[in-house]
Amino acid sequence: MNTYRIWLTVFARYATIIGLLAMIMAFSVLSPKAFPSFANFTNVLNQTSLVMILAGGLTLAVIVGELDLSVGFGASLHGILVTGLIVHDKIPIPVAIFIVVAAGALIGLVNGFIVTKMRVNSVIATLGTGTIITGLAFAYSAGVPIVAGVPEGFLQLSLGRWLWGIPNNIVVMAVVLGALWVLVEKTALGQEIQAVGGNASAARLAGINVDRVKILGFVIAGMCSALTGILLASRLGSGTASAADSYLLTAFAAVFLGSATLRDGEFHVFGTFIGALIIAVGFNGLNIFGAPTFSQYVFQGAILIVAVGLSSLGRMLAEK
Amino acid sequence: MNPASTLNLQTGTQIAPPFLEAHAIAKSYGGVAALKGVSLKIAPGQIHGLVGANGAGKSTFIKILAGLVRPDGGTIAVDGIDADIHAPDQATSLGMSFIHQELAFVPGMTVLENLMLGVPKPQRLGMVDWAAVEVSVAPLVRRLGIRSDLHAPVRGLSAAENWLISICRALVRNAKLIVMDEPTASLSDAEAERLLAIIRDLSASGVAVLYVSHRLDEVLGICDSVTVFRDGQLAASFGRSDLTRDRLVTAIVGHAPEQTPALTAPKPSDKPMLSVANLCRLPSVRNVSFQVHSGEVLGLGGLVGAGRTELARLIFGADRRDSGTMMLDGATYDPRSPTQAVKTGIGYVPEERRADGLLLTKSIAFNLSLANLDKVIFGPLLPLISPKARSSLALETIRALAIKATGPQQPVGRLSGGNQQKVVIGRWLNRRPKLLILDEPTRGVDIGARAEIHRLVREMAKDGMAVIAISSEPDELPELCDRVLVMSEGRIVKELKGTDVTRKAIIGASYSGTVQPA
Repeated sequence: MNTYRIWLTVFARYATIIGLLAMIMAFSVLSPKAFPSFANFTNVLNQTSLVMILAGGLTLAVIVGELDLSVGFGASLHGILVTGLIVHDKIPIPVAIFIVVAAGALIGLVNGFIVTKMRVNSVIATLGTGTIITGLAFAYSAGVPIVAGVPEGFLQLSLGRWLWGIPNNIVVMAVVLGALWVLVEKTALGQEIQAVGGNASAARLAGINVDRVKILGFVIAGMCSALTGILLASRLGSGTASAADSYLLTAFAAVFLGSATLRDGEFHVFGTFIGALIIAVGFNGLNIFGAPTFSQYVFQGAILIVAVGLSSLGRMLAEK
Repeated sequence: MNPASTLNLQTGTQIAPPFLEAHAIAKSYGGVAALKGVSLKIAPGQIHGLVGANGAGKSTFIKILAGLVRPDGGTIAVDGIDADIHAPDQATSLGMSFIHQELAFVPGMTVLENLMLGVPKPQRLGMVDWAAVEVSVAPLVRRLGIRSDLHAPVRGLSAAENWLISICRALVRNAKLIVMDEPTASLSDAEAERLLAIIRDLSASGVAVLYVSHRLDEVLGICDSVTVFRDGQLAASFGRSDLTRDRLVTAIVGHAPEQTPALTAPKPSDKPMLSVANLCRLPSVRNVSFQVHSGEVLGLGGLVGAGRTELARLIFGADRRDSGTMMLDGATYDPRSPTQAVKTGIGYVPEERRADGLLLTKSIAFNLSLANLDKVIFGPLLPLISPKARSSLALETIRALAIKATGPQQPVGRLSGGNQQKVVIGRWLNRRPKLLILDEPTRGVDIGARAEIHRLVREMAKDGMAVIAISSEPDELPELCDRVLVMSEGRIVKELKGTDVTRKAIIGASYSGTVQPA
């Protein structure tokens, strides 16, 4: 019985990584020309960088024990906002970016206050703010995408490349996830963040200000949502009212897959990175083999369920 | 299970065969014995009292009857037939009903719906025929004198009405034995009188009642026979004729050798570390005033529900007080949150260590450093956790507290109860608060670890900390404390010092408060 349990625990911890490696190997064998190239790998990472940034922020929210459903809608709004500020208001690009990231933080602050001070369940609270945000996005853009007059400098934000031809998106993603990883795993504040999500009651009795830590989680999720929106607008060359809405589900799947990775059902930043990579590689494979669009939805839905299942399995085994 | 035990039944000399016979019931939780082979017989229609101090094993026994806990040994026979009760619905079908202080109703559903919850109901055209239901329960409703509207939601009904409805629900299910846990605890005197009259009426109609209560006067007044548990064993059983208050109290307290009170002489400390004046939070804390000095271990004794934990929560800022003042170390102390309490210099070891004290999947080092994060970072300018500082802090604590673990990285969930508790206490050992509050410091902890925890607490006090310890175990406070305040119904009813701190004195004072409500 014990060996069975140990095997099950090992399976729950490594299943995602084994799955990722298996997918990479299978695609490499089946499509030796298109799949296993540096160019394709860079492409996959580049494609998924924005989701990774969004999911990284979301990870902070779920580590403190809350869900944030508003981040996808938030990213859409921020995309419009940043293009609007640049195109219509002629605000310099760096200033516009600063303003939008601050707006993201503000949305997080509002979410945090609603959840901790008004005691509204976070699913409902962020579903509410997310819907309001969509309304604001339509109001700001009057329903019309902002396309004309986007300056080249703004487009280069996402299209540009760093040393060795690594796309900017990947660099930003690496910096953001790296910073979040250090914050959660290495800092004193990160200990408080983990404690609040692990056992809020124990954290409170140990003298940690639980509400403040939870609000911080929402603020970080909001800021990451803003970054995602800005980079998406730059990549699309326009601001569109619902451009990033679909990122939400992918980000959630990544976060839950991540919680089943290496740890027993605990959310963590590196896990989220692996989770997002699994989804991206899966999509890429489906694309290369010309799978119909519907299969992508099936893949994403199925992987979300598998992810949450693995995550619960790990938690169950760890607690007994 | 054991065929021999069924045969034993026939050898009973009672006129009526017992409705329930429990024989040699034993149960241990993780090596700690809660019940060490208790037996009990209840005849049909008998009102049977079950009394004992906190931790005597009453709750475990009831849970076993209800099918919520599986016993390690012993047999239960209902109506002379061996029963292996493994689920609550089975207990119900055997004719047993359980009524607790926290009554289990669906608040938004009506009285009638709650009465019929889980009971087959008459149907018409595939729908529940509520009119027929109402007709069928009408005689019971009349008999119990339920005056509340059957179509009103249960939410908002008084405690007394809730009890009547619970009893009615038991009768709807044809209960032959109703187990009542502290039935009069939340009732007024008049309501309690009425409930007792109903219990007598039930008994006359052949329904037995197992009456579990701390209120000895009620037990003396109503019960046909009484069983006393002490430390998981059968201490005594009385029939109507040999039942006296003195005998009951003696059986509850026992003749166990008195623990010698803690030996450190109470230091006449110059000034109090914490002084509390007229602290109130109704209904659980009423006008409480006391002082605790540096270097002193002050015990709070009393029965479960006497208001001790609630008092501790007020001091720790987890609840707001209605009125009263507090001074900590000479300064006005007005905690608005536990965060603030910790900052001001208070530590708290909660009663539910797994739920409120620990992150079970995290390491010992993580759990120990939670209240000491400033000690394990490189510095205020570089607030990164230093793994070296953290693990040396953890190692130091593990050694000082003799925590049995594979190392600082072992998840706390894998430790025994006693070692888990040491981790919670160890968190404060490093922080050195001015006042440490311990709520049930050794519950579920084995004897060896218990002695070590006591030694540890005394050492922390010797270094100048003030300690408040809450315990429901009769022996613990005499072992641990210099001075004990006994609480009852939200008030401090007795102060015991030095050699007066005895198990007998604490239990005596705990019950005295309930007999003569002020």
